[in-house]
Amino acid sequence: MVDRIDFQQLKSGEVNLGTSIMAVQFSNGVVIGADSRTTTGSYIANRVTDKLTHVHDRVYCCRSGSAADTQAVADIVHYYLQLYSQQTGAPPPVHTAASIFQRMCYENKDQLSAGIIVAGWDKEVGPSVYNIPLGGGLFRQPWAIGGTPPVPAQRTYTGTATRRTRRAGGRDETVEFVKNTLALAMSRDGSSGGVIRMCVITEEGVERLFVPGNELPKFWTGTEVLAAPKEKVVLDPQVAPMVIE
Amino acid sequence: MTSIGTGYDLSASTYSPDGRIFQVEYANKAVENSGTAIGLKVKDGVVLAVEKLVHSKLLVPGANRRIQTVDRHIGLATAGLPADGRTVANRARDEAAGYRDFYRSPPTLKTIADRIGHFVQMYTLYSSVRPFGISTILGAVDKDGPALGYHGAAVGKGRQLAKTELEKLKLSELTAREAVIEAARIIYLVHEDAKEKEFELEMSWIGPETNGLHVAVPKDLFDEAEAKAKEALVSGLE
Amino acid sequence: MDHHPTNWGRPRNDTVDPYGTYPIHQRPTNVPKDAFAAGIQHTQQPIVTGTSVLGIKFKDGIMMAADNLASYGSLARFRDIQRLHPVGEHTVLGAGGDMSDFQYIQGILDELMIDEFAAGDGHTLGPAEVHNYLSELMYARRSKMNPLWNSLLVGGFKDGKRFLAYVDLLGTTYSASTLATGYGSHIAQPLLRRAVEGREDTLTEDEARKILEQSMQVLFYRDARSLDQYQIATITAKGVNISESRKLETSWSFAEGIRGYGAQTQ
Repeated sequence: MVDRIDFQQLKSGEVNLGTSIMAVQFSNGVVIGADSRTTTGSYIANRVTDKLTHVHDRVYCCRSGSAADTQAVADIVHYYLQLYSQQTGAPPPVHTAASIFQRMCYENKDQLSAGIIVAGWDKEVGPSVYNIPLGGGLFRQPWAIGGTPPVPAQRTYTGTATRRTRRAGGRDETVEFVKNTLALAMSRDGSSGGVIRMCVITEEGVERLFVPGNELPKFWTGTEVLAAPKEKVVLDPQVAPMVIE
Repeated sequence: MTSIGTGYDLSASTYSPDGRIFQVEYANKAVENSGTAIGLKVKDGVVLAVEKLVHSKLLVPGANRRIQTVDRHIGLATAGLPADGRTVANRARDEAAGYRDFYRSPPTLKTIADRIGHFVQMYTLYSSVRPFGISTILGAVDKDGPALGYHGAAVGKGRQLAKTELEKLKLSELTAREAVIEAARIIYLVHEDAKEKEFELEMSWIGPETNGLHVAVPKDLFDEAEAKAKEALVSGLE
Repeated sequence: MDHHPTNWGRPRNDTVDPYGTYPIHQRPTNVPKDAFAAGIQHTQQPIVTGTSVLGIKFKDGIMMAADNLASYGSLARFRDIQRLHPVGEHTVLGAGGDMSDFQYIQGILDELMIDEFAAGDGHTLGPAEVHNYLSELMYARRSKMNPLWNSLLVGGFKDGKRFLAYVDLLGTTYSASTLATGYGSHIAQPLLRRAVEGREDTLTEDEARKILEQSMQVLFYRDARSLDQYQIATITAKGVNISESRKLETSWSFAEGIRGYGAQTQ
């Protein structure tokens, strides 16, 4: 058997977005979402992180991996996209943003641990979602999920998400889908948790949605099937127990 | 040429007292010595055509092309010094390749034209360099459709007449195929002023029949256009 | 003795704690092990990977096949990617290994073909030139201790000649009338040889397709990183044709009657 692949090695003390993130395309926009947990090892360094990062008016990214790496990359991409829109006089297509992310992740794959989802709306193709996993490849998908450590987190919900693939659903059901999938992943993955943050990106604008950590959707936990407590026998106080002599 | 001997025409980095840069004006003279180049932006494509004056009978037909390809979908035609035309085309290719490398998508014509404009302008600023002796027409079909910056453009010796002819056309209603015929006609027409010189017609296009690529006009269409151009010339002179 | 659950069932490796499972007071330290460990470390593993590519010669040209899967370890992460890439008018490149490196190679070749196109000199690069270019590229990168982590097949048809050759992350090249990368080189190659060798000039396009279909089927049965969605590329005098994604026909019904693993009958 081949040994488990070591996808990522954080430097000692490095902060990790160990994360559940996703983005789903719907008919006239995209919904992106993320949990809010940032950890160093098993210590939660920040329980209310915002992993949904603006890189241009209609282009956002979801960051996973090293917080420092992904923030640095997102900042640089943000700079390039400002430059692009000034030079061309038009907002950048999502593909352009994704390509710049991809280049940085590919060319610096040796020093970065960054798994990034880029999503947004542009006038050329409408809504689109791109996945840029660890090695720096670029993959367009109707929906994308991510997070590191990728294997345990993603396996738990790749299956769930696949079964409920949304290609051209409406806004509201897409939001529900993202919310439920993230909540499911957060409930099982120790490196995910806190609150759910979501953005709906359409031609009209970007709408922020928030689900507090104490109001997350709840799922079947299995307690119902375990033997129900036997009905308690309550003695009628009127009935005096027989005195045993 | 009252400027000669005044000392203000020795460098592109020096203005004359009335605000002119003589070196740039001299560079334009080099363009005027050259055969005409035109570009047509029509309904579904772009056509470039050049009147290539053949200075020597020793020249192999098709040599020293003045229409060049910048990227799959971008063509460039120059009037002026051929070597300068190649320098600018090479720079345009580098810019297009750089854009593709960075953004992983084909560049728009506007992007390339902006960068080439910047490149050419840099050569009007310093005493150590000579401004390019060319005028350039760039044409493309990119994500926004056919692009040229103008509906029609003309540079080189016969540009005035060519522009007059272009203005007569309803360019936005022509097809690329029709535009090829018109382009050939215009080149033959403007050549009338330099009849004693041999010339070679060069034509390229980007349209529905080229699969979005900038390629030479195919031989059958080229021959048809050339024959019609000669015909028009004869009937026009009568 | 280390009793921590992270280390159950495997030898201790303090430098890696990918799941962040160590309690914070006993997290592993990541100090370099020797003087060289702090030097430049290039990525020495593929991450998002594709599996086998197959290629055979037939009467009119070359036919190649590859499935549509890009794996992430054992996770079937991207199930709609193309691993057969046209290079100009005469060539198809098929890739196994790291998909980000493959995309990088595609970018390089695309630019190369644009340079050729812009030259407008009537010459085009054929499969032999593309293959040689790739072999130089792959060898140069392995010599920098930073290989492009791929096994590649180059197939093509130009000037009436068929071409099929292999190049990998080390710059190793070879050519044969049947080729396969990765798992395919173990499982499909013998099948391809039996079906093709000696018949390169008589096999029809339909027969060639059948051979590849059968090999892809066997690979799907036996390669745990494969998919039943795949594409076939055909390169002939008519040019390059890469099929739409197609689904393998597989057979499982025989398993219904299987009981136990030996003497069991019910």
